[in-house]
Amino acid sequence: MSAYLQAMSISKTFDDVVAVNDVSLMVDEGKSLVLLGPSGCGKTTLLRIIAGLELPDDGRVVVARDVLTGPDLHVPPELRRIGMVFQDWALFPHMDVARNVAFGLTKDEVKSGRVDEALGMVGLAGYGNRYPDELSGGQAQRVALARALAPRPRVMLFDEPFSNLDSELRAQVRIEVSTLLREVGMTSIYVTHDQEEAFLLGDAVAVMRDGRLLQNGTPSEIYSNPATPWVATFVGEANLVVGEAHNGLIATALGALPLSTLVRGTCKAVVRPEHLMVEDGSAGTITAVDFFGHDSSYRVAVDDATYLVRVAAAPRFRPGDKVSISYAGPEVVAFPETAA
Amino acid sequence: MRVGSKAPERSPSAAGLSRRLAWSGALVAAIGLIFLFPLGFLLWETVALGDDLWGTLLSRRAMVPLAKSLLIATTTAVACAVLGTTLAVLVARTNLPGRRVLRVVLALPLAIPSFVGATALLAAFGPGALITALPRPEGFWGALVVLTLLSYPYVYLPVLSRLRSTAPSLEEAARQLGSTPRRTLLRIVMPQLRSAIAAGTLLVLLYGLSDFGAVSLMRYDTITRAIFSSRLFDRATSLTLGLLLAVLALVVVAAERAIVSRRREISTVGRRQPVYGLGRLRGPAAVLVVVVLGAALVTPIAVFVVWILRGSATIGSEFAGFGDGLGFLVSPVVNSILASVAAGIGAAAIVLPVALAEVRRRTLLADASAVAVTSVFALPGLVVALAVVFWAIQAPAPLAGLYQSFPLLILGYVLHFGAQSLRSSQAAIAAIPEQIDAAARTLGVGPRRRLLELDLPLMAPGLIAGAGLVMLSTLKELPATLLLAPIGFQTLATKTWGAAEDGFYAEVGATALVLVALSALLTWLLVLRPELSR
Repeated sequence: MSAYLQAMSISKTFDDVVAVNDVSLMVDEGKSLVLLGPSGCGKTTLLRIIAGLELPDDGRVVVARDVLTGPDLHVPPELRRIGMVFQDWALFPHMDVARNVAFGLTKDEVKSGRVDEALGMVGLAGYGNRYPDELSGGQAQRVALARALAPRPRVMLFDEPFSNLDSELRAQVRIEVSTLLREVGMTSIYVTHDQEEAFLLGDAVAVMRDGRLLQNGTPSEIYSNPATPWVATFVGEANLVVGEAHNGLIATALGALPLSTLVRGTCKAVVRPEHLMVEDGSAGTITAVDFFGHDSSYRVAVDDATYLVRVAAAPRFRPGDKVSISYAGPEVVAFPETAA
Repeated sequence: MRVGSKAPERSPSAAGLSRRLAWSGALVAAIGLIFLFPLGFLLWETVALGDDLWGTLLSRRAMVPLAKSLLIATTTAVACAVLGTTLAVLVARTNLPGRRVLRVVLALPLAIPSFVGATALLAAFGPGALITALPRPEGFWGALVVLTLLSYPYVYLPVLSRLRSTAPSLEEAARQLGSTPRRTLLRIVMPQLRSAIAAGTLLVLLYGLSDFGAVSLMRYDTITRAIFSSRLFDRATSLTLGLLLAVLALVVVAAERAIVSRRREISTVGRRQPVYGLGRLRGPAAVLVVVVLGAALVTPIAVFVVWILRGSATIGSEFAGFGDGLGFLVSPVVNSILASVAAGIGAAAIVLPVALAEVRRRTLLADASAVAVTSVFALPGLVVALAVVFWAIQAPAPLAGLYQSFPLLILGYVLHFGAQSLRSSQAAIAAIPEQIDAAARTLGVGPRRRLLELDLPLMAPGLIAGAGLVMLSTLKELPATLLLAPIGFQTLATKTWGAAEDGFYAEVGATALVLVALSALLTWLLVLRPELSR
């Protein structure tokens, strides 16, 4: 069975800049996908192509077997039944909340009480006659969600929807949003540059850089099995440890680590800081200590390399202390030394 | 900062500047009082008329011009609202051919004063004009055509600017919710233009009420014409109507302020706004633009050029034409430039203390003075000049000599246009980051060097722009110049006016063309370039 939403071989060039370079993605019905990447990686352009707001140079967009974008075919955005929540929420400033939500509905749908229903879903029942400039950021964001959900779209798109909220509110709202969308079984695509947000929201995460899709997988796959060294460091802290790979092991300054990939020769292994431990010893020296409350990190110099170590406790050592460092984690991923 | 001072100053530099410029509360208050003077004097004199006031106000000689003023101003405002908005939407958001160039060109009628536009119409049609077969354009319709074609930019520019700053995501959201392009344009884009259209329309209403040149040349007897013609022999009528017009103007400006402050709109900069296809309307839309530009820009200039050519052909002859060549142009050009530069510098200098006090100290007194300065700008130039003239005629001995003198003329301009300089100066001062002054202080730099090496150089572009705007207004001002200029002191405006009234169209062509050229240059530099590059 083919996926509910397919964006196949999408390419888009602006003037001389390749914004999206032959990217293919699929999302199953009711699942969520997050497009993750630094700014300018093409994730927003890809989202706007799916929405029908941009025309790709090449590629197809298919939703529920309907071809929306294809060779010589472009269904205008208003006929796609794809909902979208914008970064600035795009609430119509001259309409109250109820009229905003009713904008995408037919007269019959409005009569049947769909506006109140949608506002109720986002917990804003009774806010219908407020104006957008009378709403807090969190409320505006929920109205934008209610407005997009009200016409029962087939797919929902989110363009950095939480980036305008302060961090405390952001954490709360994004959980509410993803819970609601899962409850109604909505197929969704989010765009974000925030790795933590991506892992939280996505059933799958697609990592993009410079217009290319680097990796597409579940959050844990991407974290533990990154496709490139760049992905490894973009989705979390990583020590890239150089060593000689042989027979499923890589010999490093931290000892011989078990490998999950088939590589040989000089390689660099991705070692997550939380998989390293420090104890009293003599091999290395603590150069920096940072305490974050829920955990702490050390910088440990061993020979001429420095390693980042994260421990789930208050710091025991101080800069200058002599320690030994060891690995206590799963099999590691390694790349040829020249890989980027 | 001084230890123990109760109210902390917003910017520490205020203290330093105050010592250098010796501007104090008293200075700011004095400036405010000077700007309050025209309206105050008018009010005082009119109230002193006693019973005459009400008799005049309710008489036919007040009511009929009032009705005509309101009629021409409201019809012009409505016509400009429709035309200005249509043109702005066409060049900003549709696939109209040549829209990038047209965006600028369509604002250019701003550079043509209304009496020059009316003059062109007179020089084109009627007895003694280019096309003698057609009757002389006159009355309500003549005035309406001239005022509409030259005033629509007051709606066009704010609407265009608004169209270019709306958030594209609003329109994209509407499309995503199933709205067609046409419905999006009507229900999402147009409502966002409301306050821009309303504010622009009220500005046109104000100019319609204040206009003297076009209605006079079209012989349409509005309040301004009644004031002008009665000022010498019927002081009561002139004063009463002047006050009435002043009150009307202030009401319109207050309404405009209220609209601008109650906006419910969001703006963004960055991504390009969507463009809507005109479809079958593309042809008619292009025709509309061509007709407007042809009538408002090309025709007047062509008429003037034709008359200059005719005049040149008759150099040396005693009748029509240039008689002694183009020498007659020299003194109006010199006088216009002289008066404009003096007014520009004078205005910039006199409002600077108010601007500094308002931005840096935010005292009530400074705000009040700024309101006084701004209110004079709202008054019609004719009313300001009327107050100044009536005061000078009856001023005590040493001041009486001011009547019909160059300094009094400049005072009139400065009073009337000071607000333009004030606004630019305020923006220039506000744009100087407060940390700059703090940084200079921590480097041990004293108040004198901070003023000379930091504040003034940083403010200079804004101050010059403000002075330039005053120059532009002075150049185009007709009624105040007619009332206040010394005898024999002719500017490009008064020379054009006089020659048009007498039917000397060759002279009109020359002075009007020079006037339009100077005005277009300043309009481009000071108004259009900053406005369109935003």
